[in-house]
Amino acid sequence: MNRRGVVGRALRQMGEDLWLQGVAISTLAVALAIMGAYLALCLNLNQAAGRLLTGPTLLVVTDPQVRPEEGRELAAELSRLPGVASAAYVDQQEAMIRFRRQLGPQADLLDDLETNPLPNAVELVLTPDLAAPPELAAHIKNMAGVSDVVTGRPWLQRLERALRAGGELAVALGVLLFLAVVLVTSNTVRLAVHVRRRELELMALVGAGGGYMRGPFLVEAVLQGLAAAALASLMLWGLFSLLAAPDALPWGLRLGQILAFPPLLPAALGCLAVVSGLMGGFLGVGRSLHPREVL
Amino acid sequence: MIILERVSKVYPHREEPALKGVNLQVGPGEFVYLTGPSGAGKTTLLRLLYGAELPSKGRVVVGGTDLGRLAPRHLPLLRRRLGLVFQDFRLMPRRSVYENVALSLEVAGTDRRIVERRVEEVLEQVKLSGLAKVPADTLSGGEQQRVALARALAPGPDLILADEPTGNLDPENALAMMRLLVGDYVGGATVLVATHDPTLLSLVRGGRVVHLERGRLEEAS
Repeated sequence: MNRRGVVGRALRQMGEDLWLQGVAISTLAVALAIMGAYLALCLNLNQAAGRLLTGPTLLVVTDPQVRPEEGRELAAELSRLPGVASAAYVDQQEAMIRFRRQLGPQADLLDDLETNPLPNAVELVLTPDLAAPPELAAHIKNMAGVSDVVTGRPWLQRLERALRAGGELAVALGVLLFLAVVLVTSNTVRLAVHVRRRELELMALVGAGGGYMRGPFLVEAVLQGLAAAALASLMLWGLFSLLAAPDALPWGLRLGQILAFPPLLPAALGCLAVVSGLMGGFLGVGRSLHPREVL
Repeated sequence: MIILERVSKVYPHREEPALKGVNLQVGPGEFVYLTGPSGAGKTTLLRLLYGAELPSKGRVVVGGTDLGRLAPRHLPLLRRRLGLVFQDFRLMPRRSVYENVALSLEVAGTDRRIVERRVEEVLEQVKLSGLAKVPADTLSGGEQQRVALARALAPGPDLILADEPTGNLDPENALAMMRLLVGDYVGGATVLVATHDPTLLSLVRGGRVVHLERGRLEEAS
């Protein structure tokens, strides 16, 4: 089949009914925008969860008599331990500054403190594949200059399990949303086929094969999908820019992070539009172009 | 070219069969009038020949192809060997005369230069050379039917099936149409013209006449 001919015929039949194109593209754009919003939220939440999971998961409190240089040496020693991704010495002044930052507007509550109660410590980031954190914590606790080891690992493991289960649910929901987009596309194509019913029957009468008749509808569905993907990306970018206020959320998250517009989202929506266009196109044309079903 | 053996066609929810045990043989290059009143089964018989219907009983063979055994995906190949003309012209109204005629060649993947040359030839034959760029729906009935004939002739078909081709034409245009169908333009194709109008037979003499009456076929003298 002549590819240029198919694209040309598709563009031509699109141009002949601009109203239908408008309806099809706007309907698809809404469906893709819902899908895109969902993708963006999943991606952003996943990244936020990743930040939580790879954060300092072990806090090694140093003895009060350990000087900052010794603390930094301890951090260097700890960073060489298997299972430790990184280690950083944080003295009590820096810890207080961070704490104030985390408290945000409520930071002035700390003004009444006469002394800084926070200890000098080494923050450890553990590798995700670490098999036995309790053994590591016990080993570190026995090292010279270490006063205590505070671990948040059990809580993080529970969070990780919850996120994994949530991820499976998210994939299932994503598949359902994608099927909905395919359904919308196939209905749009079915409408286009219905509008061109007589012309298609005429083509069948003069010996047009399925490919000749189906081709322009598939190209049309893909082009409509791409236009809708661009429109949906624009809508989402506007919506996210509007909603992404710098408000703080629990766990140190920010609304701006959750509602961030992923730079690859337009490309992802474009790919989805192409795949759903082809699938929806095949489904939409279906048996309606059967050569025996002519006037 | 055409063989019908004991062909019957029964439509659902219709008591009376549209065709009853029809036998017919038409040789290559023959010109055949298929006559009969409205509802006699002429259109059904033509639809069987171009594969829009399958017989309820019997065998339909066109150009050596048994249509009952033909897979639907091969039907387009058979139709490219046929030229179809209908009473209601069946044109793409918003498309130009050229596009309408070229369609029967383009669907077969014919090279564009060959399409251009062939369309020019057939438009000359049906005397529409100057109207190639004109939208089909701006033409008169007679002109539209000549466009439909040009579309049927363009691929050089083995068999031309015309269902009441003069039904919407005045006597002058009807005569012109029939002259085109029996002229040299059909290139030796077999022609089967279905009509309910007996006066059409007097317009062009020399054809074989078969008559359908309530689904039964009889050969006329």
